Amino acid sequence: MALNRRDFTVGALTGLAALSGMTVAVRAQGSKTIAVLFDGLYSEFWVAGIQIIREDLKKRGFEIMEAISDQDDNKQFEQVRAAIARKVDGIIIVQTDSNAVIPAIRAANEADIPMVHFNRPPAPSDAFSVAIQADNQKISRDAVTYSCEVAKASGKKHKAAILIGDLGDPNAIQRRDGFQEAVDQYPDVIEVVAKIPTEWNADTAFAGLTNALQANPDISFLFTSSDFLIPQIQQALKTADKWHPVGNENHVIFTGFDGFPDAYALMKDGYMDACGVQNLFYETELAIQAILDLQEGKKVDKLLLDPGFAITQQNIEEKKEEMWGYVLWKEKNPG
Amino acid sequence: MKIGSRALLLILQNAPYILFVVLLVVFGLMSDRFFAIANFRNIIIQAAPIAILAIGMTFVLLTAQIDLSVGGIMYLTATVLALYMTGAPWPVGLAAVIFMGGFIGALNGVVVTRLGVASFIVTLATLFILRGIAMYLSNTRTLMFGDEILTLNRATVLGIPSAIFAFLVVFAVAWVILHQTPFGRQVYAVGGDPEAARKAGLPVARIVFFCFVIAGICAGVGGFVSITQIGAVGPKYGDQIEFSAIAAAVLGGVSLFGGRGSVAGTVFGAILIKSVQNGLNIINADPYIYPLVTAAIIFLAVAIDGLRTRIIERLERRTIRPVSVE
Repeated sequence: MALNRRDFTVGALTGLAALSGMTVAVRAQGSKTIAVLFDGLYSEFWVAGIQIIREDLKKRGFEIMEAISDQDDNKQFEQVRAAIARKVDGIIIVQTDSNAVIPAIRAANEADIPMVHFNRPPAPSDAFSVAIQADNQKISRDAVTYSCEVAKASGKKHKAAILIGDLGDPNAIQRRDGFQEAVDQYPDVIEVVAKIPTEWNADTAFAGLTNALQANPDISFLFTSSDFLIPQIQQALKTADKWHPVGNENHVIFTGFDGFPDAYALMKDGYMDACGVQNLFYETELAIQAILDLQEGKKVDKLLLDPGFAITQQNIEEKKEEMWGYVLWKEKNPG
Repeated sequence: MKIGSRALLLILQNAPYILFVVLLVVFGLMSDRFFAIANFRNIIIQAAPIAILAIGMTFVLLTAQIDLSVGGIMYLTATVLALYMTGAPWPVGLAAVIFMGGFIGALNGVVVTRLGVASFIVTLATLFILRGIAMYLSNTRTLMFGDEILTLNRATVLGIPSAIFAFLVVFAVAWVILHQTPFGRQVYAVGGDPEAARKAGLPVARIVFFCFVIAGICAGVGGFVSITQIGAVGPKYGDQIEFSAIAAAVLGGVSLFGGRGSVAGTVFGAILIKSVQNGLNIINADPYIYPLVTAAIIFLAVAIDGLRTRIIERLERRTIRPVSVE
């Protein structure tokens, strides 16, 4: 193939432009570092969260400084100070304690480094930072409302149990309130007979659910405030001979929250009716965009909400691609 | 001995039993399901891990020491099991947790007896170290166990649920060691008066060392029974369980000051604690009530122990009458 002078000139200029543009893009972010400070990777939600943030930041050409504080507030404060000393360009943080993080926010404010809280807001204070949080109450209300409709359609009255998270965790309280709002709309269908505090502890959750099933063997409606308790729920329901898929007359109408891969697998197999999904992809995007906007001096609200969504037996095919748990499940189960 | 003091002592010595009866009546009146035999079976299954842990704790408390690291031992041994022994048959896993628990207990024992550091400090440090190692190894992730472990929870031995069977075996072994062997008598002697025990030629350091080893083994086994029930180990696994184990032992009549108590009492204490949690679940109590009630029970346990010890000391004090000079 012969090249004439015009083609050569156009090609060379385009190539040069592309190369220079790429260099500019890499140089623009390549020298910038974002600290990603998590307090732990307790469940697949946090593991997936840090992975998505990591990949997104890398794609944008940022360098990443990662640290895990193992639920130690002092350690996390030291990590924030180390990040400040390294003059990072932004901090994405998941704190253990909403009050203990305030000195860290103040330190970041003094150093003029933008700070974004991922999934957990800090306690109110005069320090400035941006929090990304799921609209827990709305998401759980939507998911439980679907399950209430399923219960209503069965034509029977159902006894319900809820596994509540740590009573000191605002996310847990909002999920509980969302559940309550939903069931309150169906007083003739749902009677809540067991409110089980779990302290986000698998052992307490298992014992509590087993006891509740002992007291009310006819429980047929269950909501868990987090999908990380699925193995214990499965174990307790199996022991009580209540682990049956949709369509079986002994099926317990089961609603989850978070959107774990396990939750997708259970929905696919018909054991779970609905699940409130935190849109992890959207939350990570919000977090990174907030950092970028703050770096550019744009005004950003202190709280950015992820509206999330409810995935149900009805809309699973149409919504599953948005469910982070499905994406992970698909990676583990190719084909 | 005054009749009033004797009556008070009798009440304090039987306080856990009185409390248990009161709780049974209260929960029973609030829900007829509480009295079901299946529910009592359920309570014992749920109490099994804490009871096993508390049996080990009893040995340590009897020598007037304390072991705050049992929750850390549970977490670390279960984490190692989940990470490195997933495909292993369960007896191998059980042997591994017994070995690891015993080894960590031995480390505690060596530092306490050879370096003379207070057990409270040593085991508190071990607790943080063990939890730190487990979090480092697991990257603070929740680790899942396979069906090999999970099916154990539904298995039975001679018609007895596996958790209850495991607990009965540990109880029987501990009871024999404590009440039918010279070592058991030496444990009481060391706890009652370590100086007198030393003067009598007892190897005090060795006895205390072995009590820490036993506590470590029991923590490993208790953790193993617990994971057969919940099927997963996460960062909150075993968190603050040492307080439940101590409360169970003290509620069952084991003195924090050493030398007094039995494993039977400890088991009773563990069942009492789990009965409270079970009862609260059964009557669908307000979730905010749970920590209040649990804290009240632990407070009561310590208060009863303090009162009981003071009264016994007062009753045992010799009264020297002044000699009247005619």
